Amino acid sequence: MNTKRKTSDMLVATAQPATTTDGVSLQVSGLKLSLGGKNILRDISFSLREHGINILIGPSGAGKSTLLRCLNQLHADWQGEMLIMNHHARQWPGGTDALRHQMGLIAQKPAVFPCSIEKNVTFGLSSRERKHPPAGLIERVLRQAVLWDEVKDRLHESAAILSIGQQQRLCIARALALSPSMLLLDEPTASLDPRSKQLIEASLSQLAETMPLLCVTHDIEQAQRLGGQIIFMCDGRIIEIASADTFFTRPERLEAREFLRWSTCDCS
Amino acid sequence: MLNLWMRASVFITLVVVILMLGFLVSQSWPYWWQYGIGMLFAGEWYPYERLFGMAPAIIGSFWAAVVALIIAIPTGIAAAVMSTELMSGPWRGLLRGGMELLAGIPSVVYGLLGLWVLLPFLQSSLNLLTGHNLLAAGLLLSVMVLPTIMVMAQDALHEVHINQREAALSLGIDWNTRLWRVLLPQAWPGIRSGILLALGRALGETMAVMLVVGSMDRIPDPWYNLLAPAQTLTSRIGREIGEATFGSIHFAALMACGLLLAVATIAISLLAQEKRGQFTFFPGEAGSRKK
Repeated sequence: MNTKRKTSDMLVATAQPATTTDGVSLQVSGLKLSLGGKNILRDISFSLREHGINILIGPSGAGKSTLLRCLNQLHADWQGEMLIMNHHARQWPGGTDALRHQMGLIAQKPAVFPCSIEKNVTFGLSSRERKHPPAGLIERVLRQAVLWDEVKDRLHESAAILSIGQQQRLCIARALALSPSMLLLDEPTASLDPRSKQLIEASLSQLAETMPLLCVTHDIEQAQRLGGQIIFMCDGRIIEIASADTFFTRPERLEAREFLRWSTCDCS
Repeated sequence: MLNLWMRASVFITLVVVILMLGFLVSQSWPYWWQYGIGMLFAGEWYPYERLFGMAPAIIGSFWAAVVALIIAIPTGIAAAVMSTELMSGPWRGLLRGGMELLAGIPSVVYGLLGLWVLLPFLQSSLNLLTGHNLLAAGLLLSVMVLPTIMVMAQDALHEVHINQREAALSLGIDWNTRLWRVLLPQAWPGIRSGILLALGRALGETMAVMLVVGSMDRIPDPWYNLLAPAQTLTSRIGREIGEATFGSIHFAALMACGLLLAVATIAISLLAQEKRGQFTFFPGEAGSRKK
């Protein structure tokens, strides 16, 4: 386990190019994962362009969240090939911790730390940067997360007092403070009120102009609103990849059609 | 109905505590009446000359508890971190089982082990006239209170939500930083309760301490000399209660020692529960204050 983040390694990692020569930020080929003897992910292959929204949809148990966790290396036992910014994930300069800086993961349930809003934003930074955050960083990321106007006067107050929707946006800001190359979002608006949903979607649309987003959602309407590329998963496999327009109007595969029809699928 | 029984049991517990304190106050009253509160700071305790200064035993209890906690707090927390965060399931269970076993050993066994193993070791390694001293009492107490701190810290670390752990992990925060900035701060209320309960036990422990502390009724010279034989409130009561005539001023002075201990340990226990948010007189409110 890499228990100590080396500053020099971090510098190398953060110096990774934001884009690659071929315009592909993430290339996954033949990704497999077994947990407890069960195949959870089977031969997953897809790529993400250097910016834009990618929606990962599929029925419950399809392996969507697991795939995000593999990309963030929370599941480390995957097999296959994962190229991030043309670097193999397992050989990322600076190790797994440095790689996770590049792959901001937003969980379904916001997990803010029991400290101030400001400290939550800088939580992932090095100790020196936490003490003296780069000028304007906090405001910039909070604005990107569409939260600045709501918290600018109470940055020193506890993050626990924020609503769930605000906490989720704070989590997005916290991930953005690490200058990630991409964001992985696991149902970021599940169980949020429509207003919070709208604000987070606005934030995602804005962020997608500068980096690739891979967003898991069960909300078909939200997927339609966000658009971009749709990656449809079922039973641990990617069944179909298509643009949002194509997928929602003329899905190619039967499973996708059934999913759209019933929002569930029987893959047995 | 269940609620009624719970309220009744809480009420009975309170009554028992109040009766116990009332008994100690009434039995020690002649001492307080005759000598006054100033005796808490007096350094002479010679029952045959009717001198009953409390300071030597208070200082002795203080140092024994401090030495015990200085050793047991870091060791207990480290053991808890190791078992919850680094060890695999079977080893974790083994360590916890071992700690619970340690907690179940009667204190007199610890005292005998201290007498036979610890005292000769201290005497020879530190070149002392006798191994009976506050350091020996503190070392012995540290082993006795270690399970309390370790087990409670382990429970507290377990309670840190998986979301928080994964949020820290997904941010690429290294293990040390996760430990110091996420796990320990969030587990701190539980750890603090464990420390306070351990302090209560360290102050209240009698038999083991009595066997190794030296039972010398005088303030160590200098007052921080841990290598001097000394006395604690508990060891004084344990050693002299058989000699004191019921109703005498000596008996009342020993009851006063008991009252001091009871007040201190009850206060610590309440503080520990209050910090965990579990201190409530009525069922249904438990945990409501937990932050």
